[in-house]
Amino acid sequence: MNKPVYIKGSAICCPEPLALLDAYQLSSLPVDKTLIPSTLRRRTSLATRIAITAAHSACLQAAADATTLPSVFASLGGEIQVTDALCRLLPTDEALSPTQFHNSVHNTTAGYWGILNHCQAPVTAIAAVDDTFAMGLLEAWAQLQLTNENVLLVCYDEEWPQYLAPPIGQLAFACALVLSTNPSKARAMITKPKTEVVECAFDPAWTTLAAAAPAAAAIPLLRALQQTPGNIQVPLNSQKAIWFSHCEIFKHD
Amino acid sequence: MKLFSAMQAVAITGYSTVNACGLGNQALLAALQINRTALAPLQLFELPFTTFVGEIREPLPEISSELSLYRSRNARVALAALNGPDDSLRSAVENAKARYGADRIGVVIGTSTSGLYETETAYAMLLQQDRMPDDFLFLTRHAYQATARFLQLELGLTGPCYAISTACSSSAKALATGQRLINSGICDAVLTGGADTLCRLTLRGFKSLELISAQRCQPMDKNRSGINIGEASALILLEQAAEQSKPFPQLLSVGESSDAHHMSSPHPDGLGAVLAMKQALQLARLKATSIDYLNLHATATPINDQVESLAVHRVLGSRVPCSGTKGITGHTLGAAGALETIIALLALKYQFIPGTAGLDHQANECPCHIVKNPLPNQLLNIAMSNSFGFGGNNASVIVAAPS
Repeated sequence: MNKPVYIKGSAICCPEPLALLDAYQLSSLPVDKTLIPSTLRRRTSLATRIAITAAHSACLQAAADATTLPSVFASLGGEIQVTDALCRLLPTDEALSPTQFHNSVHNTTAGYWGILNHCQAPVTAIAAVDDTFAMGLLEAWAQLQLTNENVLLVCYDEEWPQYLAPPIGQLAFACALVLSTNPSKARAMITKPKTEVVECAFDPAWTTLAAAAPAAAAIPLLRALQQTPGNIQVPLNSQKAIWFSHCEIFKHD
Repeated sequence: MKLFSAMQAVAITGYSTVNACGLGNQALLAALQINRTALAPLQLFELPFTTFVGEIREPLPEISSELSLYRSRNARVALAALNGPDDSLRSAVENAKARYGADRIGVVIGTSTSGLYETETAYAMLLQQDRMPDDFLFLTRHAYQATARFLQLELGLTGPCYAISTACSSSAKALATGQRLINSGICDAVLTGGADTLCRLTLRGFKSLELISAQRCQPMDKNRSGINIGEASALILLEQAAEQSKPFPQLLSVGESSDAHHMSSPHPDGLGAVLAMKQALQLARLKATSIDYLNLHATATPINDQVESLAVHRVLGSRVPCSGTKGITGHTLGAAGALETIIALLALKYQFIPGTAGLDHQANECPCHIVKNPLPNQLLNIAMSNSFGFGGNNASVIVAAPS
């Protein structure tokens, strides 16, 4: 089974200025606070806000209907700040906040995305340390082969307390892709992600960034989408057992 | 919503669990056959309130020194399930490895807690001394993928490896992913299932939502007053269906949906639950009348049980015998979907319908056909298991006896 998978929309939301994005001529969105109604907004984390900003923009670009779109949310730590705040209360007898508790689950962002878009389509939330983006793309690819014509993939992590797993979590980064088996208005086509043994040197600016913000593993693919038409092999992670996808960039409109 | 095409069945060539009933499938079977609860007061750590839990009291195996970075209660519970009393699941994985190659076997494990239990202890030191203990290892113990990665390394597998974490539907969703990875040709076999362990954050968190019962839980009962949390690992090996897999039961489908309603309360009309069950039937090309037994999510909170029974009644009518087994094992959260899929597999294998431990008087507002005491000597071919989680994340699993 090997249906072609097309990329129809992409977006990045990185609240801090990032030299690598400038160097690669990638634009990043500011956090769009208007996407979440004020009643829910005060409950949501930075992780959720950046993920939803990127997801919304990618859907607009792809003209995808977010009310029916299945989605994959991939994040190493998910709601790490909420979890940290709760863990700090545990040595005390203080009662936990019920809202904080239900907002500490890994699929919190996925849940809010569904609520905001009134979307009852399946949504999954995955995690895979350095391979989080690669496994997210693989999960989306498998869904597209079988049951779904379109899938939203969102990969994100917020800033982390630096006593947990430095350098991970030094900066918040989210990106989103709308993937489809329908080639109409596609920007690129990608092949099945797979591991390959290759001798190649990666830009150390990217590998350093991906070590601090695992979702930034998506940057080579996002960068490829900006490039001139042609074929390009893109890494999906920067650690050992490198996952790759081959990407054919189409002519820009 | 776009209606899905059918899904190819995959073979279940091994499964194994450890939970409050003990180590291995037979310990669980023995408890199910006589409706014996394993719920008891918590011993593992102190809590500022009383409740009952499904705590594993078996001695847990040690993590090997080569993999000591991964040592956590969650990984040890998963290792206990993998080893079981007789290594049969481990042998099934070894056979699959010999047949397909290590790179063709994925590991996808559902969890909500991962190694949070160890992190909680580390935070006690952080608050006192402003630093984490020297042996604190977030990525290999607490990160969601830690237990999946541990199992992958323990078994020498090299295929795709990740965690699914969608709260209480996590391990049911892991089964969905396993089936997809096989049917899309990415893997030939996938070790799926879940592992979740008791910890302070989940117990005190559910308490803050006023969802914890101080007594043994009573699923679907008119006096039900909330959840008992449990811990478990339930591991299930999926392989592509082939001639040699005929003696094995099958995973037919997993229906998935979202409530799009609220983070911790189900949709009042059970719309998401209805959608998940319907989608599971559709993917398996089955009519509602084909389901011989349904293992309910039945957490024993007033709202969850009511909404689930309304949804079940709408999709399956009042004929299908249903039971909720969390009065035996506790609610094992991220492991519940896989644990209750194993309960469904045991029901098919031993041709009985489990009962609903804790149920005395069925609530009027829960109108489905709920089995109170286990029924032996049944003719069962196809069973369904429901799992619904925070974030309105729903999954319904359908399994079949060997054809």
